[in-house]
Amino acid sequence: MKPPNNAWNGLKDWLYKNYGEHPGKMFLHTGTVAWIFSALGQLTAIVFNDKISSDQKAFLIPQELSDAAINILSFYIVTSSVTKLASKLVSTGKVTTKPIREYLEKCGLKDKIGKLDFNIPNALGDKFSEIKKDHYKPFKNGVDIAASTAGSVLSCNIITPLIRNSYAADRQQYVLAQKRRQNQQNMYAPGSLDDYQKLAAM
Amino acid sequence: MAVSGIKNKIYNSNTLHKIWNSVPGNSAVGEKTDKIFKKIAKVITPAENRLILGATALMSQPFIDARNKKVDQETRTVSVARTIAKIIAGTTTGFLIRRGAISAVKNWSKVGEPGIKALFAPPSANRAATDAYEQYQNTFGTAIALVAMMFTNFLIDAPLTKFLTNLFVDKYKGGNNETSK
Repeated sequence: MKPPNNAWNGLKDWLYKNYGEHPGKMFLHTGTVAWIFSALGQLTAIVFNDKISSDQKAFLIPQELSDAAINILSFYIVTSSVTKLASKLVSTGKVTTKPIREYLEKCGLKDKIGKLDFNIPNALGDKFSEIKKDHYKPFKNGVDIAASTAGSVLSCNIITPLIRNSYAADRQQYVLAQKRRQNQQNMYAPGSLDDYQKLAAM
Repeated sequence: MAVSGIKNKIYNSNTLHKIWNSVPGNSAVGEKTDKIFKKIAKVITPAENRLILGATALMSQPFIDARNKKVDQETRTVSVARTIAKIIAGTTTGFLIRRGAISAVKNWSKVGEPGIKALFAPPSANRAATDAYEQYQNTFGTAIALVAMMFTNFLIDAPLTKFLTNLFVDKYKGGNNETSK
């Protein structure tokens, strides 16, 4: 089985170059796409579940829609913010390891460590390769992954359910009030002249 | 243009630099913490990430739904049951499919080997034993899992969530009826 063409090789190279060095970004992007697909599946589950009454669906469908919108947005915003912050902490040396710090000090960069405009790979230039493989990258990848996991837990399991429940409950009240109004109107509005005559004769 | 301008303005502001630079923490983390983060980078793939997300979801979301006083008891029961069902179904299928796809990519992305063993190996990669290559394998595996989940979300997740929701609601109602007898 041979790879079909250049597009296949291009896709593999593109994924390797864009995500191989940036696992935090990969967690964020694949997570966002996964939530979109998951929301579509869950919405279908409610719509076609006969055991859920229409009144409950009036709550659960908006709950699911708001869940999806809030989940996707909060996942992306919170997770990317937490991951970027963690990444910045490591790249500036604010959070670093002993071997990295010692190497930076050896290179005469002690005063710059931890400053906002300091960037370890840029500051070291060609010398960066000496700490990249064994120290900097494994540590930074770990921090990025831990941060994106923490960000996703915070956004999906705490922020989203709190916001979506509030929104869905308001929405349910609105839909039920509309239904009641509709029923009352149907009760008092005869559909034909016959209906009207029957009502008048009562 | 406008957004990047605002971002640059914020980034270059003296106040931000002062705040950032005044935050303590310029000392290095200990060897143990260093090892923990390096281990995390090796062990946690998007599959494990999904498992962590599911486990923590079970510990928080049903309780948040159960305390939602804005809806009636009946709706609250269905909502809690559905949340638990959704977490179980989503986590199980999400974890297994991601794990399977990542394993498949790892098996078939051997650099320099012939045939199917190198099916997922990118031409620009020289060596397979690097962190970047492992992350690439995780990425490709997750991408394949996402495509698979476009179907399994409808074929497995949704019906399983429906089945479990009904099961939990029936159990709850059955349990309540028995206690009220």
